[in-house]
Amino acid sequence: MAGFIAGLLGATVSVATVFIFAGLGELIAERAGVLNLGVEGMMLGGALGGFVVTVLTESPWLGFCVGIGVGMLLAGIHAFLCVTLKANQVISGVMLTLLGTGLTTFYGAGWVDRSIDGFSEVTVPLVGQYLIQIPVIGEALFSNTPTDYIALALVPAVWYLLNRSNLGVELVSVGEDPEMADTMGVSVFKLRYLAVVIGGGFAGAAGAHLSLAFSQLWVPGMTAGRGWIAVALVIFAQWRPTRMLAGAYLFGMLDALQLRSQALSVSVGADTPFAGLINAVLEFVMNAQIMSTYPYVATIMILSYAVIRTESSQLAVPSALLESYSRETD
Amino acid sequence: MSEPPFLELDGILKQFPGVVANDHVDLRVKRGEIHGLLGENGAGKSTLMKILYGLYTQDSGTIYLDGERLELASPQDAIDAGIGMVHQHFQLIPRLSVAKNVVLGEREPASAFRVDGTSGGLLPESVRSNSIVQSLARLFSLGLDVPKRRIQQLADQYGFDIDPDAKVWELGVGQQQRVEILKALYRDVDLLILDEPTAVLTPTEAEQLFDSLERLAAEGLSVIFITHKLTEVESVVDRVTILRDGENAGTAAVSDVSKADLAEMMVGREVLFDIERDGAERGEPVLELRNVGAESDRGIEALSGIDLTVREGEVVGVAGVSGNGQKELAEVTAGIRDVTAGSIRIGGSDLAGATPKEFVEKGISFVPEDRLRYGCAAELPILHNAVMKEFTDTRFGGKASLNYDELAAYAETLVEEFDVRGVDSVAETKAGDLSGGNLQKLILAREISRDPDLLIANQPTRGVDVGAIEFIREALLEQRQNGTGTLLISENLDEIMDLSDRILVIYEGEFVHETTPKAADRDRIGLEMNGGGAGNDTDDRPKRGSSRSPTPVATEHGAKRR
Amino acid sequence: MNATVDVTAREETPPWLEYAAPIFTILAALGVGALVLLVIDVNPIEAYSLMLVETPTSRQGQTDILITAVPLVLAGLAVYLPLKAGLFNIGAEGQLVFGALAGTWVGLNVSLPGYALVLLMFLAAAGAGGLLAAIPAWLRAKWDINEIITSLLLSFIALELLSYAVRGPMKGAAGNFPQTAQFSEAATLPTLYGRVHVGLAVALVLVVLTYVLMTQTRLGFEINFVGSNDEAAVQAGMSKYRLYLFVFVLGGAFAGIGGIGEIAGVQGRLRAGFEPGYGFTAIPIALLGRGSAIKVLFAGLFFALLFTGGTTMEVFLGIPAALVDVIQALIILFLITGEFFKQYRVGLRFKRETPSTTANATRGDD
Repeated sequence: MAGFIAGLLGATVSVATVFIFAGLGELIAERAGVLNLGVEGMMLGGALGGFVVTVLTESPWLGFCVGIGVGMLLAGIHAFLCVTLKANQVISGVMLTLLGTGLTTFYGAGWVDRSIDGFSEVTVPLVGQYLIQIPVIGEALFSNTPTDYIALALVPAVWYLLNRSNLGVELVSVGEDPEMADTMGVSVFKLRYLAVVIGGGFAGAAGAHLSLAFSQLWVPGMTAGRGWIAVALVIFAQWRPTRMLAGAYLFGMLDALQLRSQALSVSVGADTPFAGLINAVLEFVMNAQIMSTYPYVATIMILSYAVIRTESSQLAVPSALLESYSRETD
Repeated sequence: MSEPPFLELDGILKQFPGVVANDHVDLRVKRGEIHGLLGENGAGKSTLMKILYGLYTQDSGTIYLDGERLELASPQDAIDAGIGMVHQHFQLIPRLSVAKNVVLGEREPASAFRVDGTSGGLLPESVRSNSIVQSLARLFSLGLDVPKRRIQQLADQYGFDIDPDAKVWELGVGQQQRVEILKALYRDVDLLILDEPTAVLTPTEAEQLFDSLERLAAEGLSVIFITHKLTEVESVVDRVTILRDGENAGTAAVSDVSKADLAEMMVGREVLFDIERDGAERGEPVLELRNVGAESDRGIEALSGIDLTVREGEVVGVAGVSGNGQKELAEVTAGIRDVTAGSIRIGGSDLAGATPKEFVEKGISFVPEDRLRYGCAAELPILHNAVMKEFTDTRFGGKASLNYDELAAYAETLVEEFDVRGVDSVAETKAGDLSGGNLQKLILAREISRDPDLLIANQPTRGVDVGAIEFIREALLEQRQNGTGTLLISENLDEIMDLSDRILVIYEGEFVHETTPKAADRDRIGLEMNGGGAGNDTDDRPKRGSSRSPTPVATEHGAKRR
Repeated sequence: MNATVDVTAREETPPWLEYAAPIFTILAALGVGALVLLVIDVNPIEAYSLMLVETPTSRQGQTDILITAVPLVLAGLAVYLPLKAGLFNIGAEGQLVFGALAGTWVGLNVSLPGYALVLLMFLAAAGAGGLLAAIPAWLRAKWDINEIITSLLLSFIALELLSYAVRGPMKGAAGNFPQTAQFSEAATLPTLYGRVHVGLAVALVLVVLTYVLMTQTRLGFEINFVGSNDEAAVQAGMSKYRLYLFVFVLGGAFAGIGGIGEIAGVQGRLRAGFEPGYGFTAIPIALLGRGSAIKVLFAGLFFALLFTGGTTMEVFLGIPAALVDVIQALIILFLITGEFFKQYRVGLRFKRETPSTTANATRGDD
């Protein structure tokens, strides 16, 4: 039991990192008004790119950086299509996911059997050595890969950027009312490009973390839909970095549980009233595929709640999300 | 008048496909002057100001500000040159605070990094003035303390009551407009352009605005005030320029001209303010509102205890300044807003809580205030808009099918009967391509041709050129002859007086006064429109003009830009 | 010397451009695809001629195109109808899969004489697809909750439900594979000719019905109107609520029919991993065909050609499926850039930096 919990917590933290990276990136892009549905493809690109470079150079850090670069490259395409050419953001994103999936499946075929020494786990200086001694949860929670720590540090950084810096104020304004921002002298194009490319870079980081830290191998399609969950996560977190952190851990735990659900079977004793019914429900609720739906169900519920309850439904979602912007001169 | 003008527009020409919006327009505005820009819809006021504000570029002609020639390629250029604009539709981000909205685009760095002497002294001067440090600080930090002090100072100076930390979505409309003005003042503008600013204000707020403008002008700020309300021109404007059909039709000091003169310059011919009206048969009630209450979009009570009866062949005019519940009254009666209390009896049954469709089926026609939002689908052809309410009628097809040829024929008759201009083909020309006046005529055509029992007209001639105004008023009177009961809501007291059989004054959601045109005392009505003497009626303001001359250069405004 | 790129909105798209733009962009996409192919030592000319020429001209190819067109056209309609009402349905994939699920269940568990079973399967699929689509529609109609997000998320939920079903309650008895049992003869769709199953007829009928709906009926008028200005439509007495539900539910039903058509007419059983992607491809189909249901039909046929040609390339030239996906994604990406050129004029201007030129500069010179 203790081993199960430790394993679960450790995986939760590591998967949460994926969600934090990808989610923060998507959050930045959406706050600027651009929906990026290519996250899954960018994550795969980052995963493969990072993996290949690490195999070749034996440096996971270099791999991590390259992974970020690949994500940024793919995102650059999305930015060009959506911001400059004002193409439909949904199609562009979905097709980029297809592109990314296809390219990585193809080019990654030859790298499947390779192994690497990815990121190893480290502890926080000073207090770390004491924290990991806490029974059961100590090692799982307090011994993590550097990428986990980077992700955690990004949360307050992104919060600060959005709320306490001029760049952030401008970025938010671009996502709320690009016309108005334009007349105030804010460069809508540049900011949207920046937001999308940063978002892609974060997605690439998420993928690189997957292949260099979480599982230290490469398999085509290894993101397993986590990019889509990250998109849901942004909505679940109502576009706020602090809530994103909590949501990432929640979804991370669901992800980790779902993978382990076969090993886990919860049931009530046969003499409990309605035992048969209860057990059937429990089995259904703990089923791996059914569990995979929980992030989505939760997101729909949160979104509905937020929109119905907010005084001005405008405030629930960035107002200019999905709108292309062009300065209508003449 | 030997003083050179502060702002000089010379021969501004701007053309769009098919129309000359500005035809070699000259405009001269003095320093410290409140200059009115008057004209019908489509006369070119908006276009001219957009050129001045850098949103458009003129085809030819020059702009001089304080003797310097200006090349304005963007609004940023205009702001840098000292020109600020307060738009009709506010350019604010509701989610952000007042302070953030005001400084957006200015990139104020945190106070530790400021180089203008207001920094806290935390970092040495040499570090602060380093260009790399400056760029980084401007991007990645945000200093609101100094700006907030400045905003507060400006607000106090001009009599605004604003909390810089309040989120904009929490503010009322008048407050939001003040934030817009603060945005311009914060950037040290020398010239402020206001585009129909009182359209969204209560009378008290409009008063406060005029006071603020006078204070600003006294400090040397020049103001261009776009309006089509003749009374406003008289209250707050020093000199006025009239635009007509893209040309400058004349400039005059307000003290030298009368309203009739101004109207004539706007239209180019004498405008009759009086319309002949025959007596009409007054019949059964078509509308009975009893104790009706309603809320505004913000959830605040907008109507309370409304009792109203409209009979066949009667025009009931509701006078009042926009924002006192007229919108809610019209929407409740048309069925697109729920009542919180009371009953709406139409044609014998109580329709409170019914769907809009039931209202339509009861024979109610509605000419809304916001025609682009509620009155038409701008992207669809005239045909679709003309039959918006009639397409369910059996004469246009079978049980479920539609005969588009029949519809087109119907649309064409409407266009012809109501002199809707600008229609190439009812099936192809989009409704949004029509000018304001013609669109309003189309909407009126559609609503009137249904031969309704009850017609609700909310600000039917707002934003409509004078020629169309006459047509619309005649049409309303004709419908009155036909036995339609009309609920006419208008800010224009002349219009109410000319068309109504009975007059009601609405103030803060209640009827405060009832009278008839014969018995009406205009001063009393004006007073009631403003709360029975609580505030000043715009009509009572002293007329501007020669008693007050533009001030010579003040030190605050007119200084060279940084 | 200063080069600037001038971008101006067009008043309207000249007719030649309407056709030229898609053609040029597809050629561009094929060009990039050719590079991809060269990398794996495949002759692009050979590959493309196989995909674009031989496939549609061969008996086999035509059959495959028609079969593939069925779910594509139906899913295209599933996106097209809400689009006309101003809504964006990107959950067509989930609706398709959910419909397939329901139809399969009926096909395996109900026995009825003759063609009645097949009919019931269609109805079940339509009902399931419509039901799933009703959720985002209702959330939008009642609470103004963004339907793009909700339909997308529900799509993923539906895919997981499929996975659950074929691994659990609906798993076939034979063997331990995540798939249902094979359909019986009664549950298999009858064919029209060759392998082309009756789903094609259903699709064509539904295309015509949709066209008639939009151009000849009152309901179509209302859908158009509410899609242009929902507030004015409400003022006029139209029921936004009713219309939003109608277009989504009907669209979902169409998608569901497309789903069961694919299973009962082609695959014979429902497998895990049935994620054909038709629901997502339906989005560009609907956008290309947003003028009318007939255009949706042609767009669907075109994409069917792409898909079928892609499979042919896989089979005959050994090109990996992943790469075919890449080429298809490229084509769609390029197609949407074509939209840009239809709406905007792009010009290159060279300016010499003298003071006088800027004074009379205008925007949007032509």
